[in-house]
Amino acid sequence: MSVLMEEERWEVLEKIGAYAAGELEGEEAREAEQLIFERPDYRRLAESYARMLVMLTTLGNEPVEAPEVVVNYAVRRAYVSAFARNAEVFLGSLGRTYLDALVYYFGLRPRSYGGGI
Amino acid sequence: MSVEYQGLAVRASKGDVEAFRRLVQDHSALVYRVALRILGIEDAQDASQEVWVRVWRNIGRFRGESAFTTWLYRITVNTCLSAQRKRSRRDERERGEEMPYLPEPSGGDADPEAAALSAERRAEIEAALLHVRPDHRAALVLRHMEGLSYSEIAEVLEVPDGTAKGWVSRGRAAMLVAMSNGAAPSLDRNLEESGG
Repeated sequence: MSVLMEEERWEVLEKIGAYAAGELEGEEAREAEQLIFERPDYRRLAESYARMLVMLTTLGNEPVEAPEVVVNYAVRRAYVSAFARNAEVFLGSLGRTYLDALVYYFGLRPRSYGGGI
Repeated sequence: MSVEYQGLAVRASKGDVEAFRRLVQDHSALVYRVALRILGIEDAQDASQEVWVRVWRNIGRFRGESAFTTWLYRITVNTCLSAQRKRSRRDERERGEEMPYLPEPSGGDADPEAAALSAERRAEIEAALLHVRPDHRAALVLRHMEGLSYSEIAEVLEVPDGTAKGWVSRGRAAMLVAMSNGAAPSLDRNLEESGG
């Protein structure tokens, strides 16, 4: 099969698929209807699409529950991460306090000149 | 409801784990469902966990310009596509001269909706979905399984509306080809029985 024929085949496939999904309007819809009316193989194609779309929608509407482990894992990770974040902030401020104390103790703070406060 | 989730997201961004827990509990099914459709059952759990790690890490960047679910869909799809890239790629365009068809429902299987609910049908759909190119698959899932509009899909996938529409269209065609070519063994058998 030539590349052109393959492209044409794919184009018809997509057009009839869009028609079956109810997404064509006006001239495009009429063109698709004409194809389906004229060729039994295209009619079968449209019917196949319709069946497939019903199956997809039905499957999509089925309730799906996430495994409990997913929820537990996500929340646990968040708690650990939040704890680490808070610990980092706490240790950071503690470190700064110690540093300030050392600077004060050894008299390393630069003196201000010129009458500044 | 959306406003409530925006508020929870803001609280979570400030480190409120209880707010985050609410978000996870109320949306874990959405995330897992999309991961399941895009990746299949083997990787859905790992991907879902990764999604929530990314949500927690990036929730400070959630600006509230779009709905929380749109932002969550985006992270979910991106995470799934990243996971998918680690797998080998498959060619979605199956070549052949004839148009693809699904076998007619057999016996009293006249109600397609009832047929779709059978375990066998479910397995066929899930197997065929995995034969569709990942970005087209994501678009297809969002459109026909999650019921999103094209503008919502475009926002989630961060592509123009026309691209979203094209991906859904190609995904739909590839899915039908995969199903008719017997993406699942049971479908193969049906095709042989019907002489397809």
